[in-house]
Amino acid sequence: MDDFERDLSRLMRDTRQHIPYEPEHRQRLHAGIRARRRSRLLWKAGGSAVAVAGLSVGLALLPSMLTRAQPADHRPQPTTSPTTSPDSTPTTAPPAPSTTPTQQPETTLPATMTGSSTPSGPTSEPAGDPRPTATASESRTTSAPSAPPPSPTPTTAPPSALDSEEPSASVYPE
Amino acid sequence: MEQVRADGFDEFAAARWSALLHVARLLTGGDRQRAEDLVQEALVKLWFAWPKVAEQAPEAYVRTVLVRLAARSARRRWWGERPVDQLPDRADPGDMSSAVAERSRLEAALALLSPKQRAAVVLRYYEDLPESQVAQALGCPVGTARSHASRGVARLRQILSDAVRPVG
Repeated sequence: MDDFERDLSRLMRDTRQHIPYEPEHRQRLHAGIRARRRSRLLWKAGGSAVAVAGLSVGLALLPSMLTRAQPADHRPQPTTSPTTSPDSTPTTAPPAPSTTPTQQPETTLPATMTGSSTPSGPTSEPAGDPRPTATASESRTTSAPSAPPPSPTPTTAPPSALDSEEPSASVYPE
Repeated sequence: MEQVRADGFDEFAAARWSALLHVARLLTGGDRQRAEDLVQEALVKLWFAWPKVAEQAPEAYVRTVLVRLAARSARRRWWGERPVDQLPDRADPGDMSSAVAERSRLEAALALLSPKQRAAVVLRYYEDLPESQVAQALGCPVGTARSHASRGVARLRQILSDAVRPVG
């Protein structure tokens, strides 16, 4: 620090004059603080109002955007379903082949059921429920013992009428 | 809680008012009204930061705010502050005391510096701050702050020697 810098430093300090902190300075300062606080509150209120408005607009537009997006999501499904249909056709196909054999069970079922001793069972069952006819027609070609069980149940298990609602489940294990 | 905060803040403002006003006056090149505005604005900013800085260094905080406010206010067009070759007014020893004449001469010379140079010179030679703190207050690297201070001093040396010559 040379002489000039020392003189400069001294000059800056010597020229300092004491200015008291008067009540009017204090009032002015606190008025400035209140004004700044008010402007901060206004900014915060404005910001939160903008945020709420943005959120409400977003929430209002969201359902319409979702519903608009849903058909686009479902459209590809039919195009892919025919590829999966070969797997499902065996499950849905049996009713169709069942129609052709159902005309024959009138003759075939009595032929299988004639083995049993009761003639009244076979006449009522094939007409009432199409499933036994389908199973009977299919089982006729694959396995013969599956058709006879419906007929023995009414004859061999008469004691409980309630058990007759699910006879096949209780009888098949045996 | 608010009352404690207000009491501590008022004590600080009352104790440092005169010194802050003098720094602001040096930073504005002798403009007393602008210096008061700057001190008030800096103290308002300090009020909102008071819970954080009260226990640490409120003086350093308000000094930094003051320097930045002074630099920003000097950039505003309506202040009309432009460096000129000639001093706008010179102290007349005939109708003023020597202290007032010296102060006016110094403030007039400081007014000719750029805001960064002025702030660097005031912080370095009046506040006697190390270069690192000057750089922190200016928001620039230490080398830049040192450069501002040395260029400001060189300019002041030239201005004050030119001003003294006609008077002497």
